[in-house]
Parts: sequence; structure tokens; C-alpha cells
Amino acid sequence: MPATDFQGSASGFPSFGRSILSFRRDQIHSMETPINHHHHESAGNLEADLNSFQKQVADRFHDLWSSSSAAAASTASEHLLSVVWIRKLLDAFLCCQEEFRAVLFNNGSLVFRPPVDRMVSDYFERSVKALDVCNAIRDGIEQIRQWHKLLEIVLCALDNQRSLGEGQFRRAKKALIDLAIAMLDEKDSSTTVAHRNRSFGRHNNSSSAGRDHRHVGHFRSLSWSVSRSWSAARQLQAIGNNLAAPRTNEIVATNGIALAVFTMNTVLLFVMWALVAAIPCQDRGLQVHFSIPRSFSWAMPMISLHERILEESKRRDRKNACGLLTEIRQIEKFSRVMSELTDSVQFPLMEDKEVEVRQIVKELSQLCDTIKDGLDPLERQVREVFHRIVRSRTEGLDSLGRAYHND
Amino acid sequence: MAENGEEKWVAVARHIAKTLGRNDTMADDILQIFSNFDGRFSREKLSEKVGEEDPRACAALEQTIKALERQISQYVTADHPIWVDSADSSAFLDAIDELISTIRDWTPMAGDKIVGACLVRAEDLMQQAMFRVEDEFRLLMERGGESLELSRAYGNGGESAGNLSFDSDDEEEEEAVGGVGIGNGEDHDRIPTARPITDYDIVIDALPSGTINDLHEIAKRMVVARFGKECSHVYSSCRREFLEESFSRLRLQKLSNEEVQKMAWQDLEDEIERWIKAANVALRILFPSERRLCDRVFFGFSSAADLSFMEVCRGSTIRLLNFADAVAIGSRSPERLFKILDVFETLRDLMPEFESVFSDQYCLFLRNEAITIWKRLGEAIRGIFMELENLINRDPPKGPVPGGGLHPITRYVMNYLRAACRSRQTLEQIFEENAGPLPSKDYPGGKLDDGGSPSSLFVQMVWIMELLETNLEAKSKVYKDPALCSVFMMNNGRYIVHKVKDSELGSLLGEEWIRKHTAKVRQHQANYQRSSWNKVVGVLKLDNASLGPHVAAKLKEKLKLFNQYFEEVYKTQSTLVIFDDQMREDLRNLVNQLLLPAYRTFIGRLQSFPEIGRSLDKHIKYGPEDIEARINDLFRRSGGSSGGRK
Repeated sequence: MPATDFQGSASGFPSFGRSILSFRRDQIHSMETPINHHHHESAGNLEADLNSFQKQVADRFHDLWSSSSAAAASTASEHLLSVVWIRKLLDAFLCCQEEFRAVLFNNGSLVFRPPVDRMVSDYFERSVKALDVCNAIRDGIEQIRQWHKLLEIVLCALDNQRSLGEGQFRRAKKALIDLAIAMLDEKDSSTTVAHRNRSFGRHNNSSSAGRDHRHVGHFRSLSWSVSRSWSAARQLQAIGNNLAAPRTNEIVATNGIALAVFTMNTVLLFVMWALVAAIPCQDRGLQVHFSIPRSFSWAMPMISLHERILEESKRRDRKNACGLLTEIRQIEKFSRVMSELTDSVQFPLMEDKEVEVRQIVKELSQLCDTIKDGLDPLERQVREVFHRIVRSRTEGLDSLGRAYHND
Repeated sequence: MAENGEEKWVAVARHIAKTLGRNDTMADDILQIFSNFDGRFSREKLSEKVGEEDPRACAALEQTIKALERQISQYVTADHPIWVDSADSSAFLDAIDELISTIRDWTPMAGDKIVGACLVRAEDLMQQAMFRVEDEFRLLMERGGESLELSRAYGNGGESAGNLSFDSDDEEEEEAVGGVGIGNGEDHDRIPTARPITDYDIVIDALPSGTINDLHEIAKRMVVARFGKECSHVYSSCRREFLEESFSRLRLQKLSNEEVQKMAWQDLEDEIERWIKAANVALRILFPSERRLCDRVFFGFSSAADLSFMEVCRGSTIRLLNFADAVAIGSRSPERLFKILDVFETLRDLMPEFESVFSDQYCLFLRNEAITIWKRLGEAIRGIFMELENLINRDPPKGPVPGGGLHPITRYVMNYLRAACRSRQTLEQIFEENAGPLPSKDYPGGKLDDGGSPSSLFVQMVWIMELLETNLEAKSKVYKDPALCSVFMMNNGRYIVHKVKDSELGSLLGEEWIRKHTAKVRQHQANYQRSSWNKVVGVLKLDNASLGPHVAAKLKEKLKLFNQYFEEVYKTQSTLVIFDDQMREDLRNLVNQLLLPAYRTFIGRLQSFPEIGRSLDKHIKYGPEDIEARINDLFRRSGGSSGGRK
């Protein structure tokens, strides 16, 4: 569980654990009292809720923007698109979503009837599409975890040894080749919907298992849990489809709620887009149209983050990156350096070379720790986003359903 | 003196360590104990001096390494699989064991130049040996799997194999035939016979037992030599593929959430059927078999076993759970209830398996995930009931059902609830899950039969019945004729009670509820009587006031009025529908009892007047028999075309 401060906003609406039945009875009873009464009660709160939501989104995105900007100079761990930063992004999503939920459920009498109800169901539909992105990202995290395991073998081979001999380097080299193949394989699927024909079992080498036989590619990467035709790029487009800022008459007709719905839609799209940008998944494609009116208080940081991620993507996707995550770049860099080193190294190892190797191994050890410590919480958080989306949608559908009782 | 004494001590310590340590590889530990015991026995002091002082020992080490190099390189360079010959493989393993113990024994003395150089050679040799055993390990895994598939397809006969849904693919079989002839083929107690799918309580040996022993021997060396990660990786990726293959043989597709949402319900139903089978096969056969295999291959290394097992099952389990999740998130259309109940029940019934097979620290998250999704299916089912409520609520009156007959919604809802209550226990569980404290005034009907507090499902069902009745009442308003209105309520009320009575729904709602609703039907019956026949009977009343002067004329007038009313009522009511035979009979009797005695009395009275008596036939249009015949002609069985199901 990420450490977030949802408690503040969570108290404003019925807790989830409450009985649907008793909740419904309240609803039925309240139907007997004039709707206007209800309406009137919450009219002042609505504006406060809407403002607080916008402020939450703006604060969070300013924070994401400024921490990733300042990071270049100070702490590298909060670097844009690092695991830590992505976790912060997901945290932001969870908070915004929670605040949005408060807007919806504090103002149910307005929200769950026309014309707002249609917009709200539209949001739920988009958010369901995000669930597949979450699942794909989860696969991607598992993918990174596999690479991390190979790095650990490299570390195991070269770390903590009294002496560095040829054997250890061969062992490291083998793991590095497996790593390179695993990442290459990943690039295939990251950039196009690859039709990787994985025949099950028994390939090659039934006869030869000679000395120089390298089990190249034995480290078969994982397969995705979604079908091969699934595409992250298409999924993102579906989330962003027909997403446009509300017109003035819509804003008026909805007492401003339309703005909140649009904001939440955009946050959803941005967060999913950034996840796909950062983490390996099938058919990564970032060509999603963002139209963000600059009048929103959160627009500037979001647009800026969007641009910076796009730049990063242009820089790195030319080299066919399988994800813009900082740690992936570090893995790539490390495996390149290490491969060069293992190719060029002479035995017995000269002292200066050994010092160099030990230095790199130390860095590798740090990288392994970062990944190791980062991935599990990241995966849990992606899962949490998934659950939160489902829960909020379930509640929403319940409320929309109940609202029909009134008709 | 002191100097000399210390030297002596160190020499003794070294001697002890060496003599003891040589045999059982405890030298390092012993030295460690010494150094902890007394500062004078520092590790450097103890180890440094070995080489320095004992060149003969170093020479022996070099000899050993040389011999091991000769032995091991012979296997490392072999161009055929080593494990086909058990003599070869055990000699190879012995050599590795010696290498491992040599490295361990001499590592504390690595500070010495010669020893250090020897250790580098030993490590190098170790790496080569490990690469080779890793290859052999993989080969054994793959070959073992092959021979299994073979015997599954041919050894046990196609029929029983088919029961496990491991429909084998001809191409692969042919390929596999070509690859036979490996493994120490004598004593494999191969897979047990596949039994019919209803019996899931079998654990298969995924690999022949001889192969498992071989794998264990290799794994043991790899883990001890710190190559455990490689071993675990090879193991997991091979088994993972095996599982994936098994899944595709169970014809389970990989579906995204969205694909599940968009799927036609019928296709999804089929997919759910396959999923149920696959989930059972996976949790009851495949995963426990994997667990067993893993525990045997990594026997003695529980952490490596747990981690490898998680790696093997993770993907398949998530795939299974994702599908169930997608089903839970999907449409809440009421017709989906029954299939989603199946999914819920499948997961529920598999919970003990999830608990037992995923109990270790690495797999715990899979178990928790399963619980989460299982609960979510419960929520989905509650959502479906909510949707049912909405459907009832929103069902518009539209046109009246002809003759006040049975409304399709009554049929639909009652049959739906009856069918749902066949899964009563599951539903109780689902609704209990989410129940908060319910104040007793919250549900109508007061106490339960047994005096206990009501179940949440009871409250839910009472609520739906209430909604249905409210909706029917609204629908009854479209009838202009109050009698017709009552007949409509009577018919539908009767149907409801009837459907409740002889089903699980009845035992759920209880006697009290049934009594109350039977009374309601009687109330509608009374209303019907009042609104149609009371007026007719009223005409026949002979009170004192009517016995005034012009009695005869008044009576004649009354008779005329009676005829008129009776004809009117008869005309409107001959089209009435009473679907229930018994009720139709009862109703006719009721009307007869109401009307006939009064009519007979009236006629008798009329006959007592001589001036009327003569022309009686002229006035009496209907004899009592005619009335009875007409009444028995009232009410039809059904309203023609309106009886279709919704």
C-alpha cells in the first residue's frame, strides 16, 4: 500500500463497507423528501468540492513536474520516468481519483441524473479501458523483473569474489547474452504487434550439447497475459477517443461538474499514457492526441511533462527502447558496458582493470537494489489503481442504477 | 616465551582444523571458531601460514585440481548427453562434489599465492562444469516432458487422455517419437492413468521419477556451488512452458478485459465453461503436481523450491484470475447471474486449493489475489440483483394484459427468482458478505418463522417482491374497470404465491410471508366481488322499505334492474382471464353462492304476488339454472396471445 493521504477526503461519503441494502433504503427514504431540499443542501458544497478537486490535480501535477525537473541536479532517483517517479504518478492518480469520487458521491443528486450521468458513465467506460493497460503494465513489470534476475546472476558471478577469473566472466557473459536477447525480444513486441511464434518445447539441439554450445535464447521471455493482437497504442487511443473539453453551455448545464469529469478523464489518459511510455508492453505507441486547454490550473505541468516524455521517447525510441523507464535505460547501459568489458578483458586481470570492474559491479549492485526495492511496490500500486478503478466504477454504477428508482 | 607459545597455539589450531576439516569440510568453520575464541587466532594468521609452511599440502592441492580438470573436462566436452549413462553421470557428479569440497576447504587459505592461483583454476573449472550440468538439466527437463506426453497419448489410450482435455496434437507426437531413447528408461513409474474429469483428485508425476532424481542431484550441486539462480531459471522457464501448453490444450484463450466485455454472451458462456474446467484442472491437478515436482527437484532447498514454483505458476494463475475478474467487471445483465454464480462457486470451492498450493511467502500474493477476485464476483452478483430491481422498477405499464391475466414480468421475475434460489446457499453467502446491521423495521414481514434475525438474502428477496408488487399495482391502474383491476392483481398475486410455495424461495420467504400474500390475494378477490357483484346482489335485497304499498311494481322494477346489471357484468366479465384452474372454480362457486340463494329467494318472493305470478315468465328472463350456467361460463383460462414469456 502506498502511503497516501486519502483519509481526508474519504470521510465525506459513505464508506464502501456499508450495506448496499441499508444504503438503498436511505436512498428510498430520501426520495420521499423533495429532491430540491437535498439539492439546496449540497449546492454550496459542490463548488467547494469542485475547487478542491481542481486544486488537488494541479498540486499533484506541479509536484510531479517540479520534482522531476529539480531531480536532474539533486536526487537522481526522482528522475522523470524513474520507478520512484512513476510511483509518485500513480499516487497522484489515486489521490485525484479519490477526490473525484468525493465530487461524485457528495453531489449524487446532481451527478446521477441527466445530463451529468451520461458524462459520468462515459468516464467509467474509459476507466474500464484503462484496466487492460494496468494488466499489460503488470506483465511489463514482470518482464523487468526477469531482466533483473539476469542482472543478479551477473552480480553473483562478479561480486564478492576474492579474485575475478575467466570462469566468473564467462558466467557473467552468458547472463548478459540472455539479457540482451530477452530485451531484444521485448523490443519486437514493444514496437509492433509481433507474431512471435512460440512453438512449445523441443527446438533445436537434440543431438549436440557440446562444449561451445551456447544456449542462446534459452531464456525465453515471458508471454503476455493478453492476446497477441492486443495493442497498448490502440487501447490508449480508445481511452482518449472523443475526449474534448466541455463547452460553456455544458459547463453551465452541469453546474461545472463537466469540468471535473473532463479533468479526471485527462488525468486517466495521461497516467495510462505515461505508464505505457515507461514500461514494456505489447505494441507501445505514444501517438495519442492530448488537447488540454491552458486555462486549467494543472494544464501547464501536464503539458510540460507530456512534451518532455515525448522528447525522451524520440531520443530513445529511435534506438528501439522497450520502455522509457530510467532503470531500463540503466540496464541497457550497464549491459552494454559490461558486455564490452567482458569482451575486452584479458586474463589474468590487471589491477587497474580489476578496480574498474569492481566499480561497475558496485554500480550494478546499486541498480539491482533500486529495481528490487522498486518493482514490488510499483506492481502493488498498479494493482491498487486497477482495484480503485473497479471499485469506483462499481459504486458509480450502483448509484446510477439507484437514480433510476426515482424515475 | 609468549611469542613462542602463540606460534605453537596457531600451529595446533591449524593442525586440528586440517585433520578434522579434510574429511568433513568443516575446516573453515573450525578456523572461524578458533578466531572467535581468541584474538590470537586471527583468520589471516591461520590461513596465511598454511601455504607458507606447508608446500606439500599445496602440491597436493595442485594435484587434486589437475586430476579434477582431467575428469571434468572430459564431461564438459562430451558431444552426447551425459545423463544417458548413469555411470557417467554419477562419476561427473562425484568429480563436482570433490571440486566443491576442495574449493570450500581451501578458500580460507586463499591469501596464499599458490593456493589462490589454484582456486582461480578451480573456480574456472567449476563454471565450466556448471554450464554443462545446466545444459544437462535442461535436456532432462525437456526430454522428461516428452516421454510423458508420449505415454499420455499412447500409453494410456487416447480415450482416457482425452478426458483430461489434453487433446494431443498429431504433429507434436510425431516429432516426439523421433526424440525418444533418452533417460534411464527402466523404472519410470510414469503418469497415472488419467481419470474422468469429475475426479480432480489426482496429482500427476509431470516427469518420470528417475528423471526427477537426476534433476535433484544436479540442482543440489548447482545450489551449493552458488549457481542456484541459473538452475531455478532453467527449471521455471521449462515448466512454465509446459503449463502454458497445458492451458492451450484446455482451449483457454488469452482475453483482455475489453475482449471479454465485447464478447457475445453465448460465446462468453462457452468460454466460462472452459474456464471452469481449466481452473479445476489447474488448481487440483496441474499446480499441485508442479508443487510436488518442484519440492522433489529442490528437495532440501525450500526457498529455491518456493521461488521456482512461484515463477512456474505465476503467469498461468494470473491468466486464470484475470478472466474471472473480467467476468466480474462485465455487464450486470440479469441473465448472466447463473453463469457468474458458476464462476463464483468454482473459485469458492477452489479456495482450499489456493490456500494449500500458494501458502509460501512468494505465492501468498496469488492467493490474496484469488480472494479479492472471488469477493468481486460476489459484488458482481449483488450488482446483478440491483440491475434486476432496476429492470422491475423501470418496466413501464404499456398496454393492459387482456382480461386482467398474468403479466409477463410476473412470470419472468418469479421464474428467475426460483431458479436463483436453487443456489440459495451461495446467495446467502454473497449477501451476508456485504450485510451491515439491519434494523428490524427495515424489512416488512416482521419476525421470521424461527424468530431469528433475517438473512440478508431474505431481505433482498422480500425487497424484490415488494418492487414487483408495486410495479404490478402501477400496471393495474391502466384498467378502467375496477373489477378487471382486481382480477389482474388477483391473477398475478396468485401466481406469485403459487411459485413461491413449492420452491426454495418459499422456505426462504417463510410461512408468514406466504400467509400474508395469500391474504392479499383474498383481499383482491373481495375487492373484485365488491366492485362487480355486490351491486347486482344489492338489487335483490328485500328490506322492510321495499315492502311498502306498490310492492309488486317495485319488485318488477328490481328484477328488470337485476337483468340489466347481470347482463352488463356478464358481458364485461366473460372475457376475464383466470389462469388458475382452482381459482377459477373457486371464483365461480363464490359468485354462485353469492347470487343464487338471493336470486332464488327473490324469485320465490315474486311468485307470492298473484298479479305478478301470472305473468312471471314474461318478467323472469333467467331462471336460476340459467344464472348458474352463465356464471360457470365466466372466466377464461388464458388471455390468448398475451401469455408469452418476457
